[in-house]
Amino acid sequence: MTNGPLRTPTAPAAHGRGPSAVDAPILRTEALTMRFGGLTALNRVSLAVPRGEIRAIIGPNGAGKSTFFNCITGVLAPTSGRIVFDGDDIAGLPPHRISKKAIARSYQITNILPGATVLENVRIAVQSRHHSWSLLRHHRAYGDVIERARVVLASVGLADKAAELAANLSHGEQRNLEIGIALATEPKLLCLDEPTAGMSVTETHATVELIRRIAADLTILIVEHDMEVVMGLARTITVLHYGEVLAEGSPAEIQANARVQEVYLKT
Amino acid sequence: MSALTPPAASAETRVLDTRPGAEGPSAAYWTAFAVVVALLALSPLVLPGFWQRFATEILIWGLLAMSSDLLIGYTGMVSFGHSAFFGLGMYGAAAALLAVRPPSLWLALLTGLVAAAVVAMFVAFFSTRLRDIYFSITTLVFSQIFYVIIFTWTEVTGGENGLTFRQPPFAIPGLFSIPFTRNGLHWFVLAVVALSYLLLRRITQSPFGMVLQSIRENEPRTRAIGYHVERYKIVAVMLSGLFAGLAGVLYAIQNKFAAPDFVLFLISGETVIFNVMGGMGTLVGPVAGAAFFLLMKEVFSRVFYEYYLIPVGVIFTLMVIFLPQGLLGFLRRRLNQ
Repeated sequence: MTNGPLRTPTAPAAHGRGPSAVDAPILRTEALTMRFGGLTALNRVSLAVPRGEIRAIIGPNGAGKSTFFNCITGVLAPTSGRIVFDGDDIAGLPPHRISKKAIARSYQITNILPGATVLENVRIAVQSRHHSWSLLRHHRAYGDVIERARVVLASVGLADKAAELAANLSHGEQRNLEIGIALATEPKLLCLDEPTAGMSVTETHATVELIRRIAADLTILIVEHDMEVVMGLARTITVLHYGEVLAEGSPAEIQANARVQEVYLKT
Repeated sequence: MSALTPPAASAETRVLDTRPGAEGPSAAYWTAFAVVVALLALSPLVLPGFWQRFATEILIWGLLAMSSDLLIGYTGMVSFGHSAFFGLGMYGAAAALLAVRPPSLWLALLTGLVAAAVVAMFVAFFSTRLRDIYFSITTLVFSQIFYVIIFTWTEVTGGENGLTFRQPPFAIPGLFSIPFTRNGLHWFVLAVVALSYLLLRRITQSPFGMVLQSIRENEPRTRAIGYHVERYKIVAVMLSGLFAGLAGVLYAIQNKFAAPDFVLFLISGETVIFNVMGGMGTLVGPVAGAAFFLLMKEVFSRVFYEYYLIPVGVIFTLMVIFLPQGLLGFLRRRLNQ
C-alpha cells in the first residue's frame, strides 16, 4: 500500500547506487498520487530535489501544493506512488517517524505552542532528539538541550524574546519561530509552507535572508505565493496545476514559459 | 459537561512552566510546602474526633485528585474512569490482606498497585487512541465494565457487600510491628501523599512532563516535531492510574473494607470536580478542591439534610462561572516553577 510498485517513465531513470549516492537527489517522488474520494489532488507527481537546493513549488490555489507537503510530512498517506528520501521510501509513515528521518516543516497557518515561552517552543523540539523519556530529572537540568535551543533561537533572530510567551509575539516573529521549531529538530530537508504569508515588506526581506542563511546546511522545499520571494530564492521552480507538474525549470525559464504565464503568473 | 473540559483559558494563565532565569523552586515555595505539611501533621492533635478521620480522608481523596490532574491538567485528557484505578487499588489491597496472615501493609500496597497498574495498562491501550470526549467516554465505559465485574462476581469480590478485613499493622519485618493508631495512620497517609506529590511534581517538570504539556497545547505540532504522542499518553494514563491505585490502597487500609461503590462512576465524577474546583494543572489545587468539596458536602448535609446537594450544586456552578481557574489556579505559574 505504501510501497506501490508504480513506476513512471518520467521518473529519473539513472539512480544507480554506489559512488553517485551522494549526488542522488535527497528527495524524489515517483508518480505520487493523492485522491480524496473523486477528487485527485495530486496526479502522478514525479520530481527530484538535489541535495542542498532551494526548490520552490508554485501554482494557483488548489493546485495541490499543501497536499504535496502533507504527503511528504506524513500528515496524509498518499493513495499511490513513492516518496524516496535519503534512500528510504517514506510514503505513508506517520509524522513522528518522518520527523525522525530528518524532515521538518513549517506551517501555512502559524502552528506553535501559544501558551509556552518562545524558548520552550524550541526547547521541546530539540528535546525530541535528546532525553525525551526522562521522567525523574527536571527538564532544566539538561543544559545541552537548552543551549541548543538558544542557538536555534539566535539563528532565527529571536534570542531576546526567549522568555516571552509565544502568543505575545508579533505575526512575523511567530512565523520565524515556526522556522526555529522546525530547525530545532535538526532536519536535512525543511519544508516551508508560505513562510512570508501576511508579513510586511521589511519582515519578508528579513525572512528571505534567514532562509538563504539556513539553506547553506540543508535542502529547502518552499511553497510561496510571493513571486519576488520565489524568484529571489529558488534555484529551480516546479509549477503544479490541478495536481500535475505543469513545468519545471529555473526562475528565468518559468517566467518565460507560456503555459505558466497563462495559468498562473498572469492571473 | 463542557465546564468539565479544561477551559480554553487565555495564554497568560495556561503557561508551560519553562521560564528561563527562574532556577528551580524558590525558598518561598519550600517554606510554604513545609508549613502546609506541618499543619496537616498537627491537625489530628487539635481536631475533634470526627474531623481527625475526615482530615485523613481528604488527603486520600486529594491523592486521587492529584493523580487525575496529571491527565486533565497537564496532558489535556479528561478521564472519567479514575474510579476503576482507585477501586482496583482497594480490591488489590484487600486480596493481600485477606489471603496472607498476618496481614502485611507493604504486600497490600504492592498488590493494590499491581492491580491498578494492570487495569491502567488495559484502559490506556484502548482509550489513548481516542481524543477529547471520546477518550473520556472510553475511560467511563471501562470503569463501568470493571464495576459490573466486581458487582456480579460475588464469590471473589463479595459482590454488593464488598470485602472486609483487618487493618494491617505498621511494620518493618524483623524489626518492629505496631498497630496503627488514628494519628499514626494519618501521618502515614500524609507521608505517602506528600511523597507522591513531590514525585508527581517532578514528573510534570521532567522532559517527559514537558511533552505531556506540549500535547495539551498542540497535539499535531507535538507529533510533527517527532514525538510518538500515543506512547506518551499511554505512559501518562498508566502513571496516573498507579497513583490513583495508591489512593485506593490507602482508603482500604483506613476503612478496612473494599466495596463496589468505589468503582462506580460517581467517584470518577467527583475526581473531575475536585480538579475543576481546585485548579487544574497545579497538583495541589485538586487537593484543595477535594478538601473544599468534601467539607462543603459534610457541612451542608448537617444543615440541609437530604437536600444538601442543591447548595453544593449551586456553589459548584457559581465557581465554574466566576472562578474558572479554580481555587488555586492563580498560583499555577508559581506552583509549577
